[in-house]
Amino acid sequence: MLDKRIKVKKIQDLGAGNHLLRLASPKQAGLTRPGQFLMLKCAQGINDPPLLRRPYSIFDIWRQPKTGHPAGMDILVKNVGGGSARLAGLKPGDAVQVLGPLGRPFEVPVGLGNRIRFACLVGGGVGIAALLLLARKLLEQNTHPVLFYGGRVPDDLVLREPFERLGIETHYTTEDGSMGERGQVTLPLEGFLSRYARAGLRVYACGPWGMMKAAHNLAVRHEVPCEVSLEARMGCALGACLGCTIRAWDEKGEEQFLRVCQEGPVMSSRTVDWETPPI
Amino acid sequence: MAAKKPPQGGRNQIKSVKTSVEISGVQFKNPVLTASGTFGYGLEFAHLVDLSSLGGIVVKGISMKPIKGNPPPRIYETASGMLNAIGWQNIGAVEFITRKLPALRKYDTRVVVNIVGFDLEEYLEVTRFLNDCPGISALELNISCPNVKKGGFHFNKNPRDAFEVTDKTRKASPRLPLWVKLSPNVTDIREFARACADAGADALSVVNTFVGMAIDTEKRRSRLRFGTGGLSGPAIKPIALRMVWEAAREVKIPVIGVGGIATTSDALEFLIAGARAVQVGTASFYNPAASQDIAEGLERYCRSHSIADVNELVGSLKT
Repeated sequence: MLDKRIKVKKIQDLGAGNHLLRLASPKQAGLTRPGQFLMLKCAQGINDPPLLRRPYSIFDIWRQPKTGHPAGMDILVKNVGGGSARLAGLKPGDAVQVLGPLGRPFEVPVGLGNRIRFACLVGGGVGIAALLLLARKLLEQNTHPVLFYGGRVPDDLVLREPFERLGIETHYTTEDGSMGERGQVTLPLEGFLSRYARAGLRVYACGPWGMMKAAHNLAVRHEVPCEVSLEARMGCALGACLGCTIRAWDEKGEEQFLRVCQEGPVMSSRTVDWETPPI
Repeated sequence: MAAKKPPQGGRNQIKSVKTSVEISGVQFKNPVLTASGTFGYGLEFAHLVDLSSLGGIVVKGISMKPIKGNPPPRIYETASGMLNAIGWQNIGAVEFITRKLPALRKYDTRVVVNIVGFDLEEYLEVTRFLNDCPGISALELNISCPNVKKGGFHFNKNPRDAFEVTDKTRKASPRLPLWVKLSPNVTDIREFARACADAGADALSVVNTFVGMAIDTEKRRSRLRFGTGGLSGPAIKPIALRMVWEAAREVKIPVIGVGGIATTSDALEFLIAGARAVQVGTASFYNPAASQDIAEGLERYCRSHSIADVNELVGSLKT
């Protein structure tokens, strides 16, 4: 992990307040594994407000066209005011202080394709940002990733094309059915699990707490493993401040507090206490 | 952030600056330490900060037995600061001594252990245990944490209690110097500074966090599960500075300034107000190298201002 002041290469307006920020940092890009995140200083000066850096999933690694070497990271920023508004306002050439890559990545064991047939990727809103690198890794291991992507309205379903380009099966949902199926993303997931759980499945989820909790409950009911990528307010992201903990259960079923920045952001959904949201 | 480099080769430039400070017989290579609870066990920052560039590291509060801490959410950012209610989560003294301290001792810096407990006997137990452990330069008695329901904070209710816990802990640590970390959540910090000094404290860390609150107006719930939290960061600096100034004039033992220090200039203010050393806290969260930057910045300041010994700054406030 490195703490570097790096350049914004490009910023793409995806509509509805969503922006794809392309950062130039070959070293950090080269270290990145699927599910890891960056801590971005949203203000220009290190002591300017907002003080604390903000965690963002690494959506993609972009590469040098000629050599194919990693050149930097893409992150998805939804402008919800505060620090995110500052990031959304960055221009190409601006510098930003970036710590990372950080955290425990998704688990994709070598040869996973021999044991499971499908990997269900469940994304809600900007939670999609944690899933693209994972989808690629799963394809490398000869599994079949299937994307379940839900939002309130069609505008929430950003960055669908990079998944579609992978040629994987996709299921979209919106609340009113104006794009894809009507209802929650767990609806098509449930149908899929009922049909294929016996063929060997894994669930990987990133999105709002309620969505991940529902995905976890389905995974438990169908007896399939489930990993979730969690969100928490973070202080240092180095494991020191103990501010980003979630309530979880240890092997004996006793309460413990795990740091989202160290033991996460990706954890087995079965360790999480779903009754205690961390935000 | 590093202070601006002074012009080089000026007429008044001096070659070497004495940066070391002494606190109750222990030499610190410079007056910049990290504050307890903001730098973990030090090792978390080792790949981003040259730990050997620091005067010392005050590690996260240690209790005899491990403590799980408070349920989340535990932190919330506020204007120029943050609230926390971690609740003393720590790995316990035995784990610290066997798993963390040996790695930390490889660095050329001082290790100060902040100690916590839910009652007096727990304080004494962890003090006796650590007093026998090599590799520790001082103990910092935490009687001022606002984020636990019993113990700790209780001893800060009146100067008599502060005297008693300091006196008993002092006697339980015959080998190690004892610092006492004071709470700012009192009417007159001078009374507490005096009581702890009278009880035999070797130094005072002034101050811990200020009790604060933030509310989610949609949910009408506190932003922190614990309810209240300790406010830290630049927001508290002017108040902490005033308290350091008051405490330093009240007692003869060294005062260590803590509270919102983020830049070299902040650290200088505390030294001038009377602090023998400073601790960098919340700044390490958003600028991991803040403490190293400040240690280097102080030396640059002394050089450019023809100050041969950093101790000349201590308590140099003009009236």
